Amino acid sequence: MDFDLSDEQKMLVDGARRYVRENLGTEARRHAAASTDGFSRDHWAAFADMGWLALPVPEDAGGLGGSDVDIALLTEELGRGLSSLPYIDSAVLASSVIAASPETAQREQLLGAIASGEAIVALAHMEPDGRSEFDTPVHTRATETAQGWQLSGTKARVVHGGPATHWLVTSRTDDAGKDGFAVFVVARDASGVQVSTYELVDGSRGADLQLEATPATLLIRDRVGAANALEEALDRAIVALAAQTVGSMEAVMLTTADYLKQRTQFGQTLSKFQALQHRMSEMFLETDQARSMLMSALAGLASGDPVYRAQAASGAKALITQAAYFVTGQGIQLHGGMGITDELGVSHHYKSALVFDKRFGDRDFHLARSAGLAVGPR
Amino acid sequence: MKLQLDPADEAFREEVRAFLREHLSDDVRRRSHIGMHPVHTGDRVWWNEVLGRKGWSAPHWPKEYGGPGWTHLQAHLFEYECRMAGAPELRWQGIRLIGPVIYTFGTPEQKAQFLPDILTGKTMWAQGFSEPGAGSDLASLKTSAVLDGDHYVLNGQKIWTTEANESHWGFFLVRTDNTVKPQRGISMIVLDLKTPGVTVRAIPTINGEPATWEVFLDNVRVPKDQMIGAPGSGWDQGKFLLGNERTASADVEKSWGDLRRIRTVAAAEVRQGRPLIEDPLFVAKLRELELQVQALEWSVLRVLLDAPSEHPVAARASVLKVRGSELQQRISELMVEALGTRGLRLYRRDMAFEPETVTPLWPGHVPGVTVDLLYQRALTIYGGAREVQKNIIAKLAFGL
Repeated sequence: MDFDLSDEQKMLVDGARRYVRENLGTEARRHAAASTDGFSRDHWAAFADMGWLALPVPEDAGGLGGSDVDIALLTEELGRGLSSLPYIDSAVLASSVIAASPETAQREQLLGAIASGEAIVALAHMEPDGRSEFDTPVHTRATETAQGWQLSGTKARVVHGGPATHWLVTSRTDDAGKDGFAVFVVARDASGVQVSTYELVDGSRGADLQLEATPATLLIRDRVGAANALEEALDRAIVALAAQTVGSMEAVMLTTADYLKQRTQFGQTLSKFQALQHRMSEMFLETDQARSMLMSALAGLASGDPVYRAQAASGAKALITQAAYFVTGQGIQLHGGMGITDELGVSHHYKSALVFDKRFGDRDFHLARSAGLAVGPR
Repeated sequence: MKLQLDPADEAFREEVRAFLREHLSDDVRRRSHIGMHPVHTGDRVWWNEVLGRKGWSAPHWPKEYGGPGWTHLQAHLFEYECRMAGAPELRWQGIRLIGPVIYTFGTPEQKAQFLPDILTGKTMWAQGFSEPGAGSDLASLKTSAVLDGDHYVLNGQKIWTTEANESHWGFFLVRTDNTVKPQRGISMIVLDLKTPGVTVRAIPTINGEPATWEVFLDNVRVPKDQMIGAPGSGWDQGKFLLGNERTASADVEKSWGDLRRIRTVAAAEVRQGRPLIEDPLFVAKLRELELQVQALEWSVLRVLLDAPSEHPVAARASVLKVRGSELQQRISELMVEALGTRGLRLYRRDMAFEPETVTPLWPGHVPGVTVDLLYQRALTIYGGAREVQKNIIAKLAFGL
């Protein structure tokens, strides 16, 4: 066992750190939030140019076949710069589901388009009475017609669902049985789709989709295969997002320590107050433990054992969520009034922690799942 | 010791309930429960007028200045009933903050000029204490007021001035003397915010829009009879005012209202196929917060009714502020948790109050919850940061 980075990984981290420092951050996030898509197409094109969108895509589909460790190294840097681009949604989550598709032509075409940045694919699995992708009923129905498959139903709270070029839509088929679903792909310009979009707290755009006999292409029909592919993809997305969150926590610590050294009250810099020094130490402790949980989750993903993987990803989600709320919340507290302004990054990092908690199952769900008391998606 | 309400207080509470039933429409109740900061402006102005006509707008004020002359307990019961019934929360700055300062320290002319319009809400007030370089360390404030004939000339910058955009007048702590100990060189001045040289600028905040403002004072000429108290006495008035704010800031009324709302949200949201409110893990978390609010409410009553104690009341008042603000943060966190992924949507102020935003996919319990969570991050900062409050407790309770 060693924790050393390979030369390629070092290059990846250095390149990402430089790009993030020069192009992302609070100002870029504010700008992105004010745009229609909730992110910058220029940044997206740059992500493609640097090979980041191809990184998670398997080599046999024209990608770079990077490991989950590679992805985590990259997303940690993105987290430092408050990225709210659809990187994890499209390049990690969607590409992972699509990679499990036995429909060879579809698989290659879509994965190629994800890697080039031409396609932005968002998972549309949750339904109105669902709580997360792990905990949602699937009522959407797929019918096979002479013209191909058609879907009808409602998909709710699709993150980046507005700017997506395609949605991965889960749906019951006649042969899927009571609890199962198949996975389809629906193009943004397909007929019979009503999209209503709205702003989320990190400036990205969510959407609700109303499907009415919407033409769709089948990706995974087998219900066991579909559920397994989705669960593995969600675990990979959780870990990538956990790494992004650890990056966010690191950024908060640095900026907060700088602030304490500059800000003078009661005739001395805040950094001289022991109560605040101890708070910084606690933030350091939590961030350190969060990074360890990230490593443990990456080990789970690499194991190839679905039970270990689920336990590790969920355990990391539960603990890192708690740590992220603490670090970002205290980051605000130590900045005083400035901490709640839109101008400083720390308020945005707190909202990123909220997004991390909410996405793909919240803390309580993952505590239960890591203890073997909850399953899904089924 | 008698730990029950007297029949007279019970009757008082019934009278308040009947009044609230008669005057609050469903629309007003709905908007008040949404949790936006500040609450709906029109509703608040209207409610201030309604209460003003009844003589109930300033529950803590003595009769001689136009208050109802209630006991502290009655005022507490009134505020609790108002909040639970969905009455819009009135602006604090006039009724809770500057009003008591004026009737305690002001001249007869100042009382006559300002108090009546505070009671009806005709004049809205803003607080100008903090400065970019003077937050928790208020005594280091720099905004200057220099006497020039019959006027003071003010120069400086104030920050975190809540609702300055909707205010008519402001009360400011300014430095009138640089030659004495910092606290003794501070005075309190009130001024019309339309005076030439006053500029108000919005500060965009964590909840996606401005929740607070900056006020710039550039050679602002203020008649010298608009100083409250003697020159150099501003620090004492500021302490008096913040003391009132700290007692009120336990805000158990808000906590009780929000805890009830969590039950509504958790009854509507589903986890693992059943209502969240039936999930034992969730209910345990909710119950713990309810118990903590219960404890805090008794602490409020002990301070309000001057319960004998071996510990100084000021230390116990700081307990209300520290625990109250922490509890409100935790309650807002649990409410957002209850919402599940719906909690990720950002509702801006102009949308949140509109009934059309309520749809089957986005039910009425969603708007405002997340915005309130974000706004609550400020609660352990303003009115004296939590860390400073803890220093005060250590000092007052133990002499540390």
